[in-house]
Amino acid sequence: MPVVQPRHVLSGMLVNEAMRRQIVQLPAAAAVAKGINHLLKFKVNALLITDMDQRPAGVVSKTDLIAAFYAGLPIDTPLGDIMIGPPLTCYPDDAIESALDRMRGHGVHRLYVTGAEATSMVGTLSYTDVVALLYRYCRSCPKSTSRKGVAAKPEDEEWRLHVRDVMTASVVSVPASARIAQVVEGLMAHRFGAVLICSVKGAAMGVISKTDLIRAYHHGISLEATADSIMTAPVVAWGQDAPLWEALQYMFLKDVQRLFVHSGDSLRIIGVLSLSDTARVRSGSCRACMPSRFITSE
Amino acid sequence: MRARDIMDTRFHTLRPDQSIAEAVKTFHDASAAEQKKIFGLMVTDERNRLVGMLSMYDILLFVRPKHAGLWGEMEGLPLEDAFDELLDRVKTIRVSDIMTTDVVTIGPDTHAMVIADVMIKRHIRRLPVVDGQEIVGIVYISDLFNHLLKKFFYNSGK
Repeated sequence: MPVVQPRHVLSGMLVNEAMRRQIVQLPAAAAVAKGINHLLKFKVNALLITDMDQRPAGVVSKTDLIAAFYAGLPIDTPLGDIMIGPPLTCYPDDAIESALDRMRGHGVHRLYVTGAEATSMVGTLSYTDVVALLYRYCRSCPKSTSRKGVAAKPEDEEWRLHVRDVMTASVVSVPASARIAQVVEGLMAHRFGAVLICSVKGAAMGVISKTDLIRAYHHGISLEATADSIMTAPVVAWGQDAPLWEALQYMFLKDVQRLFVHSGDSLRIIGVLSLSDTARVRSGSCRACMPSRFITSE
Repeated sequence: MRARDIMDTRFHTLRPDQSIAEAVKTFHDASAAEQKKIFGLMVTDERNRLVGMLSMYDILLFVRPKHAGLWGEMEGLPLEDAFDELLDRVKTIRVSDIMTTDVVTIGPDTHAMVIADVMIKRHIRRLPVVDGQEIVGIVYISDLFNHLLKKFFYNSGK
């Protein structure tokens, strides 16, 4: 029976086209301090933890480290005590779409890619890697307006995706005088990657990301310290009508994982655009390749 | 010929809680004082025990954007001011955040050929010489090379 299946840019693409071949791993006995050092140094969001026989045993993400910070665990706690295992995996020849579904289903931001043997990891796949692949794809597309010297045709305009189409239209904000503990609570309750720090009048003053929090943990800063002591300022905010490809390009160039979004007044934040939101759309910058539907027979 | 014969006993160190800006200044000062280019420094705690090493490579690794691969293959990217913010981020981190903590060390009696072997196999250009808990010197790949060559030319009568 013929079935209509939506076809995306990613249809037919395999994990090995987007995956990252670098795996940052540490033994379960290594201290939390060393784990944070590796996350900051290699700019990854999670570590693979190995057991005494060097086999993958679990994962420690930034979120797990923030939970340890919040629980008051000493910085020399072994990573094995806070890891979550076993690691979720996929194969290099899996379809990216099925890998994305698996990530979404488990509520994780990355999968480890295993080779022929379950114990040998060959890479990682994160939302960011998928978006990087989409971005690359869109730049080489004939409909792309992101290339220099290519004028946007009016008829293409309606296809274009804008920041507002993809952003999450809510933000978690805490006052600048809040304690770091409250920042962690806000972050954990809403599963956001960063918390906005606002003045009494509600103007955006700064941002505290998960990276800022694990850095504070590493630097021995107390949970009782105020939010403004560790925030990154000023807030980088984009207008909601900006083309998605420009925002994506900015995030890749500036190495940031999210942008805050305003609707005219840059101090009034209405939403947040993260690289993982963009992976959900499964297209880098426009709708041109999204509506094509495919009739297949089962 | 052993580590004690080759090592430099004058060395500069960093503290884990120093900023990267201070570390870069120490690199420059050490290079000027030693009359050679210094690319890596030992990091010691308050009791002068070795806790890590920081090299220029570690700093570059941190400054490099994660998706730097995209930069190379695309034309027309606005790169002019991209570096400013990337470099700005260095201000929030300390030496301990990005230093290498798994430091390979040698003893004062380690033989020159063993040192060469360690340097080649592990891609290391400088090795701290540790006697018990105490740092007694550092062997640079350039010093090892010069010592070995000098010995070779002397022995062959040239």
